[in-house]
Amino acid sequence: MAAALSGVLAYLGLGVLGLIGAPRTFSLLALLGGTVSFALWTPGFPEVLVGGLPWGVALAGDPWAVGLWALALVLHATLLIHARARRDAFHPLTTVLIGTCLAGSLSRDLFNLYVLMDLSSLLALVLIASGRRVRAVWAGLQYLVLTEVGLTLYLFGLGLVYARLGTLSVSALAGQGPNLSDPALAAGVGLLLAGTAVKTGVFLLGLWLPQAHGQAPTEVSVLLSGIVVKIGVVALARLSEAFPVGTVLLLLGIVTGFGGLLYALWERDLKVFLGFHTVSQLGYMLMGLGLGAGTGALLYVVAHGLFKGLLFLAAGEAVERVGRREITSLAGQLSLPVAVGLGVGACAIAGLPPLAGFAAKGLLAQGAPAWAKALFYALGLGTAASFSKLIPLFRPKEGGLVGGLPVLAAAVLGLGLGGTVLVSGLLNLRAWGEAFLIVAAGYGTYLGLRRIHPRLPRWGFDWAVVSLLVGAVGVAGLVTLGWL
Amino acid sequence: MEGLAAVALAIALAGLGFWNLIVRRNLIWKLLGLNVAASGAILFLVALAHRPGARPPIVGLGPGPSADPLPHALVLTAIVIDFATLALALVYVIFLTEHRHTQDVERLERDEERGWPQP
Repeated sequence: MAAALSGVLAYLGLGVLGLIGAPRTFSLLALLGGTVSFALWTPGFPEVLVGGLPWGVALAGDPWAVGLWALALVLHATLLIHARARRDAFHPLTTVLIGTCLAGSLSRDLFNLYVLMDLSSLLALVLIASGRRVRAVWAGLQYLVLTEVGLTLYLFGLGLVYARLGTLSVSALAGQGPNLSDPALAAGVGLLLAGTAVKTGVFLLGLWLPQAHGQAPTEVSVLLSGIVVKIGVVALARLSEAFPVGTVLLLLGIVTGFGGLLYALWERDLKVFLGFHTVSQLGYMLMGLGLGAGTGALLYVVAHGLFKGLLFLAAGEAVERVGRREITSLAGQLSLPVAVGLGVGACAIAGLPPLAGFAAKGLLAQGAPAWAKALFYALGLGTAASFSKLIPLFRPKEGGLVGGLPVLAAAVLGLGLGGTVLVSGLLNLRAWGEAFLIVAAGYGTYLGLRRIHPRLPRWGFDWAVVSLLVGAVGVAGLVTLGWL
Repeated sequence: MEGLAAVALAIALAGLGFWNLIVRRNLIWKLLGLNVAASGAILFLVALAHRPGARPPIVGLGPGPSADPLPHALVLTAIVIDFATLALALVYVIFLTEHRHTQDVERLERDEERGWPQP
């Protein structure tokens, strides 16, 4: 416990020190400190109350913390290699942001999670806007306002739950076996879920996410999709542990999976396209949580952090080098390392063996009932179909910068190989054949859909707020009416 | 009864705040609406800590039962966060005002659709 806390403190403290001078050195020191602390506290530690009884903040080194720490440290190392030239406050802010995420993965206290989610939003806004482009500032401002609306709802839910049950520690709540037939408690739980869903970027509740992720500078997009979204997923995992809300999470997962996919299919801006896929991939994680497949969801969180990081790194590099954002105008313009990085990432997200996406999807599908498996396959097919758009980009030019791409590509391959060997039932021809068949079917779907150009509704800022509030009331209503 | 009135007031504040956040076109008005809604959440927590006839949860304020101290401690943090949010958001409103000469959300959205022409 002491080791984990000093790791977090090292990140926060060294990040702040970096604002004074030598930002990259302090960031590197934080990475070293974090790695040493991680090595000391793995494979985990039991729950402790920091600050003493009875109101201390509950922390535990559970599998979620281990997974998120590993992911965050790999992403941080990649950024340090890749963003060597970044000046201003980039390194200090990313260091503090990563420290926040590390703390969030350890936390098992609902209010503590609120503070960390809020802090991560504030830091994310500063990072999104750090390029001083009007587009990015506007996307970032909407991001902040919408997440704050969500977190205000979260605070209301927190009050209701505390008033009814008298505790905010996840384990203590789970121990009481809360009965959601009490409408006040159910409304509280619904508001907590809705607030966290907004912060996480669940479809309809989090329409801000693709623009904010797409408009942010390259390395910032990597962090946003890689770990900032994941604190929300951890919070949802904690909520599903404390309260019986599996069905609602499953429903949210299906909506966000297919909703995000629908928009991704026809999005033309490369980075916004990847942002919509972050939304769609959340569907896998939420459905995993809803089905009670915690380990599968966790493996998906880590795998997604790695391959989406790789995709955003490659895409950002391409967009910044070429100066255009539309997928069609980037064809044949990518350098070899960038094209390879994008290719590996796309294969991983489509679930091709033996990459990380394959192992994660395999583990998720294992315990799932037949209908859920069918949904996973459909989602995989859609993902392959929408990523088929990128095929013209894989005719690379000579030369170009390598940066942090190999680190993430190696991590995606390593996690994939490890997962394929360790998860039972993935080392046979049938599983591999299925994966290739889904991707082939996805490509076929792409060929069929290529001629269709529907106009999907785009919502302005006010409507985003309205839809968010309506969605939140809907989620709270679902829990209250006992559709569990 | 005072507790219940405070809860009702908290919910009314949140409604008023969200209403302003939705219907106003000016960004500063919107941010103030958000802040009022957040104050509603803060008042809500304080109101739920209320016990009939209780004194404030401060050591040395005399005998008798005190209100639940935990929500008060939470609220302190929440107030700081709300302040930070508002301050930071206003910084970016200033940035937008300098670069686009407007705080009108509808104009910003129109500009966004047109690819941000020179103002």
